[in-house]
Amino acid sequence: MLRCKMTLPSWSSLLWGACLVVLTVGCSQNPEAQFAWRDTTLDLLPKAREGVQGAIHDAFGTPHDLVAWDKLPVDFGGVQGAVQPAAEGETLSATQFHVKWDGPSAGIGAGSELLWMTGALAKSKHPTAMVVKYDDATKTIELKTKGDAPAAGDRVSVGYGQQLQLGRAVYMKNCNHCHGVAGDGHGPTAQYLNPRPRDYRLGLFKFTSTLSSEKAAREDLERIITNGIPGTYMPSFLLLGNNDGGKEKAAVVEYIRWLAMRGEMEKRLVDELSGDYSQTSLDAEAVKSKKSYEEAKVEYDKARKAGNKEAEKPEPAKSASQLKKTAGEELKKYLDEEFAGTINDTSEFIADAWKRADDPASRIVPTVARVADDAASRERGRLLYMSDKAKCYTCHGAKGRGNGAAIEDFWKKPGSNETYAKRGLHDTWGNPLSPRDLTRGQYRGGRRPIDVFSRVYAGIKGTPMPAFGGTVLKDSDIWDIVNFVMSLPFEESVPSAKPASAPHMAATESVGQ
Amino acid sequence: MSTVTPDVGHPGAGGHDHDSHGHHGHGHAEPSPLSLLWQLPTFSCDHKVIGMQFLITTLMMLMVGGALALGVRWQLAFPWERMPILGDTVFKGDGGQIAPETYTMLVTMHASVMIFLVIIPILAGAFGNFLIPLQIGADDMAFPLLNALSYWFMWPAIACFGASFFFGGGPAGGWTSYPLLSAIQQAAPGSGFAQTLWLIGLTLIGVSSMMGSVNYMTTIINMRAPGMTLFRMPLTIWSMFITAILQAFALPVLTAAGFMLVADRTLGTCFFIPSGIVVNNAAPTIGGGQPLLWQHLFWFYSHPAVYIMLLPAMGMVSDMLACMSRKPIFGYKPMVYSLAAIAGLGFIVWGHHMFTSGMNPALGMTFMVSTILIALPSAVKTFNWLGTMWGGRIQFNAVMLNCIAFVSMFIVGGLSGIFMAAVPVDIYIHDTYFIVAHFHYVLFGATLFGCFGAIQFWFPKMFGRMMNDKLGQLHFALTFIAFNCTFFPMHLLGVAGFPRRYADPYHFPYLEHLLPLNQFMTCAAIVMGFSQFLLLANFFGSMFFGKRCGRNPWNANGLEWTTPSPPGHGNFDIPPVCYHGPYEYSSPLCHDTDFLPQTEYVPLSQRQAVAQAGH
Amino acid sequence: MGRFWAIFFSLAAVVTVGFTAIGAEYWWFPGDGHAHTTLGKKIDDLFYLILIIVAVTYIGTHIVLGYVLWRGAEIRKDEKVWFSHGSHALEVIWTIVPSGILLFIALYQMDVWRNYRVKAYFPKKTAAVAEVTARQFEWRIRYPARGKTLQPRPQPDDIYTVNDIRVPAGQPVSISLRSDDVQHAIFVPELRVKQDAVPGLVIPVWFEVTETGTYDMVCAELCGWGHYKMKARVIATSEEDFEAWKINAAKEQFYDGVPATPDAVAAKADEK
Repeated sequence: MLRCKMTLPSWSSLLWGACLVVLTVGCSQNPEAQFAWRDTTLDLLPKAREGVQGAIHDAFGTPHDLVAWDKLPVDFGGVQGAVQPAAEGETLSATQFHVKWDGPSAGIGAGSELLWMTGALAKSKHPTAMVVKYDDATKTIELKTKGDAPAAGDRVSVGYGQQLQLGRAVYMKNCNHCHGVAGDGHGPTAQYLNPRPRDYRLGLFKFTSTLSSEKAAREDLERIITNGIPGTYMPSFLLLGNNDGGKEKAAVVEYIRWLAMRGEMEKRLVDELSGDYSQTSLDAEAVKSKKSYEEAKVEYDKARKAGNKEAEKPEPAKSASQLKKTAGEELKKYLDEEFAGTINDTSEFIADAWKRADDPASRIVPTVARVADDAASRERGRLLYMSDKAKCYTCHGAKGRGNGAAIEDFWKKPGSNETYAKRGLHDTWGNPLSPRDLTRGQYRGGRRPIDVFSRVYAGIKGTPMPAFGGTVLKDSDIWDIVNFVMSLPFEESVPSAKPASAPHMAATESVGQ
Repeated sequence: MSTVTPDVGHPGAGGHDHDSHGHHGHGHAEPSPLSLLWQLPTFSCDHKVIGMQFLITTLMMLMVGGALALGVRWQLAFPWERMPILGDTVFKGDGGQIAPETYTMLVTMHASVMIFLVIIPILAGAFGNFLIPLQIGADDMAFPLLNALSYWFMWPAIACFGASFFFGGGPAGGWTSYPLLSAIQQAAPGSGFAQTLWLIGLTLIGVSSMMGSVNYMTTIINMRAPGMTLFRMPLTIWSMFITAILQAFALPVLTAAGFMLVADRTLGTCFFIPSGIVVNNAAPTIGGGQPLLWQHLFWFYSHPAVYIMLLPAMGMVSDMLACMSRKPIFGYKPMVYSLAAIAGLGFIVWGHHMFTSGMNPALGMTFMVSTILIALPSAVKTFNWLGTMWGGRIQFNAVMLNCIAFVSMFIVGGLSGIFMAAVPVDIYIHDTYFIVAHFHYVLFGATLFGCFGAIQFWFPKMFGRMMNDKLGQLHFALTFIAFNCTFFPMHLLGVAGFPRRYADPYHFPYLEHLLPLNQFMTCAAIVMGFSQFLLLANFFGSMFFGKRCGRNPWNANGLEWTTPSPPGHGNFDIPPVCYHGPYEYSSPLCHDTDFLPQTEYVPLSQRQAVAQAGH
Repeated sequence: MGRFWAIFFSLAAVVTVGFTAIGAEYWWFPGDGHAHTTLGKKIDDLFYLILIIVAVTYIGTHIVLGYVLWRGAEIRKDEKVWFSHGSHALEVIWTIVPSGILLFIALYQMDVWRNYRVKAYFPKKTAAVAEVTARQFEWRIRYPARGKTLQPRPQPDDIYTVNDIRVPAGQPVSISLRSDDVQHAIFVPELRVKQDAVPGLVIPVWFEVTETGTYDMVCAELCGWGHYKMKARVIATSEEDFEAWKINAAKEQFYDGVPATPDAVAAKADEK
């Protein structure tokens, strides 16, 4: 060992070097997860883009610095309460006081963050403080603060936003791969999945228990998370959170709602601006201006040739930079004067919609109980299915195999004259979509009769499946259709051209395609 | 050129034809130490150059495979946190958090690279090529061109494996590529073109191995030096011979299976695909096939392949142990027979990978008996190694340490195998980390330590210089400790029911408490990974700065030690004639030395005298 | 230096044995460390039997190894080594003895394996409780309606759950294991149950849970990127609870969204 002392240092320095490499690699700056922006946002003129991004950033923050915006109907977690008056003859201390809580407060402990909601402290420079000690028996809270003493009755909130934090943690572990950091359905795995994972940013969810005009209720999201969506890669997260009493599930539901609101907010603000202030619109306008100039020029030349000396010389086409300049001026005015109002209106609109979704009045409740599931009802259902009133067969096919004539057509994109590149139906997100094969017994939105009823009653949001409830079909008619549809997987006695396939048949039998 | 005919068949050493090495002219002059190195980039048909090419390529691939393994370990220790390098570059927007299919890719490619581009080629390709002609006293392989092709076919395979990373994030069906995951393009991100590339790469590796194996068999049968009878062959040669037979018989099955799977994927045949399966909402399969068929075919090759990955190391370690203990190998013939027994039994144990697969339970019973019995020849070998060291004058250098580690780790790997061979117990531990522990003890603990030893043992023959022994010992100690810290706890993980190939096991309540242990293992794995730079530094540094050595620095008996270091073209400047077995260390026939080279003639009278003395 | 390495290798063996002995306190079989099925208990017995044999062999060989190395380090340069080509008697002994032990291990396992997999040896009156269908990446489970037997094809009154297998404890039950897409494997560590779900096959798996409780269930065969996501549980309850659960589950599954009567609604509201 002695002999090698001369050579060892150089070799061991190599080892230390290697360790250094590990350390630098291990401790270098984290690349932060980012909320990806919409393409249309990035297409906006720089000022407009900054406006939108700034607004979204202020209201929602970044993945590592979430903002809990109290305007949104999201349960950000924590508990609120009011500061109790001091005992007689004493003044309220800045560091120790009693609070009367609105809800359960056992979760508060050292390290929780306290936020002043009202009172002088809420408007002060430091509206937050750290809890150093809390006694739930006497509701006494001890703070580490340099601020002034609160006044009795000041509202405080402890642990505000922690539900959102937990939701994000759960989401990044379980959902991010497919649904993406921003909930845009563009996670790294998403490109391989059929159907594509949901893009929350339209605020649309397919399988809800709410009326067709309403958003998804919390319960709907939780049910999908719990049961998964059979026939897709959305698995069941029944055991998410290992018996924590649904804490993680509730948190991730809130986080998904929050992401949906964020996405919809961004989209609505961009839609407001992109008509006038995006690169695409400017380019289109420049082309249009050039075209109209050329047309006018032809007219003018013609008139001149014809000897009309009074013909007015057309104005020269506006160049892209000219257009940009005018647009920039208008945009500045808009951002200064109207944009704050737009943000406000949009957020209120979104908040109202999401608030309404959890209102019992938005819930689909059949006016009649399920019609007895007998041959007569199924036959009525079948007739309705084939009728011109419901026209189910056009998509789902006469035998319910999801092979109606509609899948052979080229459909127009909504709001334009273009057709989709592929035959068949598409959803609002632009992804191809096939009508459900009703004979497989696979019910994506749930197999309870009420689930199937809701699909017919309110349609499937974001898809060509229309809502029949209320106007087109009576509730009892819908039940007949439900009875018919739910009998399709078992229709073996009915002679048909091909053997009916069942969902869970022995795997060695063919599916009958 | 290799067309030179050596004096095979002429027992007398005197009948040597000077033309045989006349054209390289420097017969007795010491060759330049780096003469093999400079030929690396050439299309040489010299077996030594090809062996060197294999060795350097596999060492590079070892680092690649190791890096992939560290990716796996990182995810297991810090699930969904930022992964250095890979996460930072590919998954920037996700905060460096990798995607789950990336994890399965890491697992798959770590195994594929390590098995097909490191272990198999380093044993058969590198050492087989380098040692077979030298140890049997031939001037080259029987088919030198085929030999060169066997190396150059590695490169398209490496290119295929490399290219597969760029389609769907890399193949992610596991190295076993069980259908339907591997048979249906839509089944997983990596099941698309990446999987096809992977299968093509595998087939090319098979072609490469096959060319080598034909060559080894022919060479060993036909080109032994005069006097080199079968039972005077070093155990390295025996193990290479048996390995070559294993490869020749098992490989065609894998190649056929590979083509069938490629056909299933691209031509719409359904060898492995049953009917009516809908994956990822693709069109239902037409069917008629059986996924279990693939498992049978795959393991029919891949179980013998386990021995292909082990037997040559066993042979080399036997050579090194005898030399470093200065003692004959204990029970030479039982060693040979047990090698053959392992190879023979190796063909009828493949079903033990499939105990829980749903095959006929009667098969399970049969395979259990054959599998448990394969422990027997392994045990015999182990006892013989211990017998070889018993009472020897053990040279505690880096070579010997690695060989002792081989024996020790092989005992662990062999004993843990008994749990798996017992079907009822295997029901529980199948596809848990117990299996991972077991095969890492056999493939890394045994084979790779054997290779580390072999590299340092035969390095003087390759470059005419010694590797730094102290550095070798440091590398050994670090690797050995880190290796055990990494893999031994895996046995306990397996008993705790920790499943393999899980990107995030910790969301199962019963596995949550295993996170700290995994973090410890990952730290050890990082140390182990970076320790290999010591080996590389020692290997490449010693090429230039190592101590110069003569022909036989270890005082070993084998024919290879009678050649110059490195041997020139045509290997032997003095045509060898073999008079003894290769393990006559400390023989009473030796005079002032403790070794008796195979080429040293001892008069019959002396031999008889010694034999009568009772040895 | 030689002695150092002799100690080094001996120490490695001591540390691994010690680590296993101490580590088994923290990292051993999941749950309470015992199997909760009848067959599982037998598997555990076999495991411990092999563990003892293996531990004895491991310690024995490493004592020999340590001794050999120590002696090898002590031997002087001028000392003669033991020149030997082997011993026929020893070879015979160490072939016969291990083969006897190994054959014993192999044959001793047979009946447990037979009872686990060979259909003719399944316990009589094994009730088929459910069909478990693995798919990427969840388990879909179909139970026959109360009082009915499991049919190979779905029935209108079947009850469905996902990632949630309910079985009655204290009696042998069997599940029909299928796969919808690629290969999966059902693995319930605490019950010592593992079986691959092979596309195209329906494989019966039987077990008898001895204690009621909730057991984690995982997938043990690589099935794609979401392999680790297939988190499920087996809930073993008493026969009565199982039936009660079935009644409840059926009620929930056939819920039509209409509160029965206005009174019931009021009652429900009061509960809240």
